[in-house]
Amino acid sequence: MNRDTSKKDRREKMTGASKKMDRAVEKRAVGKSGETQGAAADAGLTPNLQAHIGRHVRAVFDEVAREPIPEHLLRLLSDLERSGDK
Amino acid sequence: MGSLRAFGVSLCGDKERADDLVQETLFKAWNHLDSFKEGTNLKAWLFTILRNTYFSERRKRRREVEDADGSYAARLATHPAQHGHMEMQDFRAALVQLPDDQREALILVGAAGFSYEEAAEISGCAVGTIKSRVNRARNRLAAMLGLEDEDGVPSGLSKSA
Repeated sequence: MNRDTSKKDRREKMTGASKKMDRAVEKRAVGKSGETQGAAADAGLTPNLQAHIGRHVRAVFDEVAREPIPEHLLRLLSDLERSGDK
Repeated sequence: MGSLRAFGVSLCGDKERADDLVQETLFKAWNHLDSFKEGTNLKAWLFTILRNTYFSERRKRRREVEDADGSYAARLATHPAQHGHMEMQDFRAALVQLPDDQREALILVGAAGFSYEEAAEISGCAVGTIKSRVNRARNRLAAMLGLEDEDGVPSGLSKSA
């Protein structure tokens, strides 16, 4: 069993995931603002209202999601990645 | 990673604690990568770990100190430097007042970009439950904020408020 390979595997998985997640946020950010993403037919709410609420929920969320990642978390991630190199 | 952190903030209402949650999540994910099934959704998996970590810690702490009602709301309400206009402030305040399960469902589906199926998996419940939580969350927000659509038709759901 090759330990190094499996660690390298992990590193690639983790790095890939964090990149993918960042990309997802960016992609959504440039998307049309009017989309009613994942909106099922809500009883009682018009599509307008749903879209309005959707925009605000995303705005509140993205405000935090786009903040720079704190140093120590970035360091941790790169430490984890590097530990796969040993 | 930004969205994982934002999810953490939406759960606990506190950025520092959310950072701790993210840190723990990364550690756990790293140590248990073997249990991650290749080809499944890694992002959903990380969200699940973060969520479970949060709730198991909360359960532990609840046993020690009973978390006073509304402490979450108080914490979020005092979030510093929330720029943005009044409308956003009001919205944020309303979001905080939603029941935890409804807010979580709304964030996962409406902001983090998960499908209902993925959100159900993350929250450990049925797809139908997620759908109804999202609906109730939207209706409640509309009622709390007194939202009406352009024709001036009230959302008509004040009974759920």
